[in-house]
Amino acid sequence: MIELDFALTRGEFSLQLALRSEARALALFGDSGCGKTSTLHAIAGLLKPARGRIALDGRVLFDSDKRVDVPVARRKLGVVFQDVRLFPHLSVRDNLRYGAPHSGDASRFDDAVQLLGLGALLKRKPDRLSGGQARRVAIGRALLCAPAALLLDEPLSNLHREARAEVLEHLRGLKRELALTTILVSHQADEVLSIADAVAVLDDGRLRKVQPVTQFGGEQHSAIRATLEAR
Amino acid sequence: MALWLPLAGWTAPLTIFAAASLKPALDDLAAHGALGKPAPRLVYAASSSLARQIEQGAPADVFISADEDWMDDLAKHGEMAAGTRSDLLGNTLVLVAPKTSNVQVDLSQPQTLRRALGMVGRLSIALPQSVPAGRYASQSLHALGLWDSVTGKLAMSRDVRAALELVARGECPLGIVYRSDAISEPRVRVVATFPAASHQPIVYPVAIVRGHDSAASRALLRALKSSKAQVVFRRHGFDTPPR
Amino acid sequence: MDGIFVAGRRALKQNDDNRFGSCFRIYRPMILSQDETIALLLSLQVAAVATVCALPPATACAWLLARRRFLGKPLLETALLLPLILPPVVTGYVLLEVFGHRGAIGRVLDALHISIAFRWTGAALAAGVMAFPLLVVALRTAFESVDRKLEQAAATLGANAWRIFFGIALPLSLRGLVAGVALAFARAFGEFGATITFVSSIPGETRTLPIALYELLETPGGESGALRLTWIAVIVALISTLAAALLLRGPRAREVEP
Repeated sequence: MIELDFALTRGEFSLQLALRSEARALALFGDSGCGKTSTLHAIAGLLKPARGRIALDGRVLFDSDKRVDVPVARRKLGVVFQDVRLFPHLSVRDNLRYGAPHSGDASRFDDAVQLLGLGALLKRKPDRLSGGQARRVAIGRALLCAPAALLLDEPLSNLHREARAEVLEHLRGLKRELALTTILVSHQADEVLSIADAVAVLDDGRLRKVQPVTQFGGEQHSAIRATLEAR
Repeated sequence: MALWLPLAGWTAPLTIFAAASLKPALDDLAAHGALGKPAPRLVYAASSSLARQIEQGAPADVFISADEDWMDDLAKHGEMAAGTRSDLLGNTLVLVAPKTSNVQVDLSQPQTLRRALGMVGRLSIALPQSVPAGRYASQSLHALGLWDSVTGKLAMSRDVRAALELVARGECPLGIVYRSDAISEPRVRVVATFPAASHQPIVYPVAIVRGHDSAASRALLRALKSSKAQVVFRRHGFDTPPR
Repeated sequence: MDGIFVAGRRALKQNDDNRFGSCFRIYRPMILSQDETIALLLSLQVAAVATVCALPPATACAWLLARRRFLGKPLLETALLLPLILPPVVTGYVLLEVFGHRGAIGRVLDALHISIAFRWTGAALAAGVMAFPLLVVALRTAFESVDRKLEQAAATLGANAWRIFFGIALPLSLRGLVAGVALAFARAFGEFGATITFVSSIPGETRTLPIALYELLETPGGESGALRLTWIAVIVALISTLAAALLLRGPRAREVEP
């Protein structure tokens, strides 16, 4: 259960959002500058709303009335950033383990590595990874901190065709294997459909509509896109 | 600006480089206009530092050293104007202690000195190799057979006024300075006087720096040696020159 | 460390028959006299201790200034610059006032049998105080060069401030850190004005190489000795620069090939 009801201002830009969604995977869809990344950052705790309430699966992360503001490190959210942000001085293995340093749970680690196909990359440093590989490591790193929810910021951006297909396949696999609440930011129709159960369309800091993905049935991509982009 | 001033009748002030121990006396003289108008610029430091600076062309007109060795050194290198050197003052070496201490030291009994210094106390002197006051102190200590009692318990400072400051602040229980220093500092008292025979005669030679010999410098020299000035020097604890 | 150098100095004072003295016998007549060697060892000890002791508070200050906004921040920045702006002699007198036998803190230390006044520890304190601003500035620059986005990412992964500092910021700012430490060491090694004013010159205890150099310069005919010591100081500077460069090259060489 995703409950968002907040307002925040960043310089000239103002964002106001109110939605409740039972969807397991919610996509925030819209053009650049519409506020979708800011929404994600607000959920993660990296941006502080001026007022409002943010709750995921019953856990209140922010409530300006009740003066609740859970610190970033305690929100237990796995965030995959658009600019990836792998730690350059750590190997892939150490990056993956960063969120759970004391965990002796080798099986959990191995599962994630297998799920994302990272076995051959463990000893490498981030500067020797391709775009798609880095993206998968970031996803694995977010998963391994045992989060209550996953936040993905444009997970397929800046990837060429093969890499996009590769990452998309892994994300579908994740969705199948794990029952994790996911919030996904995107501006591309195909990602949205593969992974999301519902879509929230944002435009210029305001919510336009929220609708389940199943409503699109077997329509063509272009038609779907048109529907989503219709004001 | 420097161009039109002499035209307006304004004379640039002279600069006296003087040993640190002369500060109270010379400041006094300058403040009362006894050194002419405009009052000369007074630069104080250890004689060693000043001599080195003059060697390197520092803009001093007159140099008053706290010992003959540094003046001899400059004369050897031809840094001083010929025929302008004379002995200006003398001084006495004393052992001082902070005002609040009631320590007693008999210079003929080394153990009184040792006891006065105690376990951690240090004897404050100026650097013996380079500063005249330190050199005289070292000579006296050796001559009186006190060196072995204090070796390893010395605290050596850049110049005699810094050495005095350590005693005045109570950081060192004893120090060796000039009597002129002891008189100028209300926070110390004289505990003993070193006999003149235990060290080289303390002479303050004065001379004009080469290239700065002028009517004005010679007038300044006369002012320094005048009886009026000598009275002031006496008041500040200096003696007439030994010879 | 105190023990090693004290032993070294004592060994030099003994006759040449002992082990330590004999190795100096070979090069001593060629390079440095016993006094000069003692001054060099003392300087190395003082500078090393000063740098190491200044590092934790300097790191804390630098991190605070780099990452936090707080009331009075300009005040802290100004206070930290004071040892750079004030004449070293003034700093020396301030140290004397506070840490001397009669000083507010010095009195307490004496009661606790911790000796600072007229001891090498006092020389280390003076050197540390003078090197502190340089260290803070260098460390702050190093921390500011670390991408805050990485620190944000670490926070989302559950890392607390300590883990973010030691695991992310510190390793990524190592270059600047090492350069800062080398700079601070050099400053501490060359420290003169505050030291001689605070703890005066005591051979074997506070007479560091710069002070010994100064004394030689002030002595008629001491120029050749001063020149020798100057060369030694240059060599120390070269060695510390080389050491810093080697330290920084190390991690890159150890990179794992895919």
